[in-house]
Amino acid sequence: MKRAVSAVLLVAAVLLQVGVVDRLPLPWGAVPDAVLLVLVAVALHSGPAGAAAAGFACGLAVDLLPPADHEAGRFALLYCLVGYLVSRHGRSEVRSAWARYGVAAAASLGTAVGFALLGAVLADPRVGWAAAAFAVPATVLATMLVAPVLLAPAERLLRLLDSERYDGLGPPVAPVRIGGGWRG
Amino acid sequence: MRRERIRRRAVLAVLAAASVGLMAVDAGEEPHPLTSAGRHAAAAAFAPVSEAASVVFRPVTGAAAAIAAAPGAERRIDELERRNSELAAELAARDLDDRRARDLEELLQLSGLGGYEMLPARSVTRVGTGGYADAVTLDVGTRDGVRPNMTVIEGGGLVGRVVRAAERTSTVLLISDGASSVGVRMESTGQIGAVHGRSHPLDSRAPAELELLRADAKIAEGDRIVTMGSHDGAPFVPGVPVGTVTEVRDTPGALTRTAEVRPMVDLDALDIVGVVLAAPEEDPRDAVLPSEPPTDAGRPPKEEQG
Repeated sequence: MKRAVSAVLLVAAVLLQVGVVDRLPLPWGAVPDAVLLVLVAVALHSGPAGAAAAGFACGLAVDLLPPADHEAGRFALLYCLVGYLVSRHGRSEVRSAWARYGVAAAASLGTAVGFALLGAVLADPRVGWAAAAFAVPATVLATMLVAPVLLAPAERLLRLLDSERYDGLGPPVAPVRIGGGWRG
Repeated sequence: MRRERIRRRAVLAVLAAASVGLMAVDAGEEPHPLTSAGRHAAAAAFAPVSEAASVVFRPVTGAAAAIAAAPGAERRIDELERRNSELAAELAARDLDDRRARDLEELLQLSGLGGYEMLPARSVTRVGTGGYADAVTLDVGTRDGVRPNMTVIEGGGLVGRVVRAAERTSTVLLISDGASSVGVRMESTGQIGAVHGRSHPLDSRAPAELELLRADAKIAEGDRIVTMGSHDGAPFVPGVPVGTVTEVRDTPGALTRTAEVRPMVDLDALDIVGVVLAAPEEDPRDAVLPSEPPTDAGRPPKEEQG
């Protein structure tokens, strides 16, 4: 159940990012990273291997969907690492809302810096010191500005599914037992 | 527990290696069959979603554009309030049609002057993944005859070149993109040089920069620039207006001469553009440039038609 909800959230985030956010005429090209925020929420509630795979999948989608104009695999690598690291080291910090925003900010900063570094390594003529010095803080700032409306609801939904699973609270739905269905 | 740790490290290592492999495969000059097949599949699956989102979110993008333009718009509030009473929804739709018709007409006029064979298209998406690239998506693709490295123009002049063509969409790299570089010729003197894009100009407002090969070349503000043309008309056909020099940089001792360039086309408001399918028989040289005086560059003197 939780896995399905996570997948739906990530697909919706990718479509939101590529279909809507990327085409908003935002000033100075500072685009918030909706996929990253949802990925952080998902990674905070799943195992490192699953989070890494989820990150790889949506990164690959962002890389391949038009009109992406960079080498395929850049976001796949970055999101894969983000998923793994957030799930591995971020889950202990999950107690307070501020800590979650901190984790998201760190992930956003890491992704922006990583994207610029990968661009530099691959000799992308667009990525220079001046462009990166501007784009990295602008992207982190834009991402954190939309974090309250994306990260918080996604995280709350997943937490609700968690608590439902562990202490049996939640809506009065008759338990359905289909072989091994509880592994979620 | 130990096995679990090994397993998840293995998963991470495999996925990271796959990403690096993809990048390595895709970084070459020629598109690799694997990644281009992936891109084509993704483009085909995404095109309906993109078009639907474009329709549904047009009010949102319109509002965002309005907010972005707010500082400059304050001056025009009075004028707009007067006009506002006239603008019913019906009229707005007709205005849009009229504007598209005018765009098309200008495009046709340019194509007639230059002798280009051209395919009209609508730009559906303006992108900046990661905040670096400056590109748009068009609603035409390989099934309409679009191939990579074709020139894209608007009524006023050069827009950019096609970098990727899927079956139903294509991606255009604008001349303001940092990776874009166009071989150009000055209108009258014929000196050659290149116009480089600068997506994130920190020190100035110009989206592009002209670099002339001779250090003692004479350029002045208001000088106009046309494309020089490439071998077999790819990626740029000759004779397309590119822009106007707005500021000449004085850099003593530099090997080349640089100046800031204002493109002929408003790259922030692209709607109807044309993909040049075939280059003209002969180089139109300066014939496509609007006639003097160059005060209102980029607009042919046919305002009454609109």
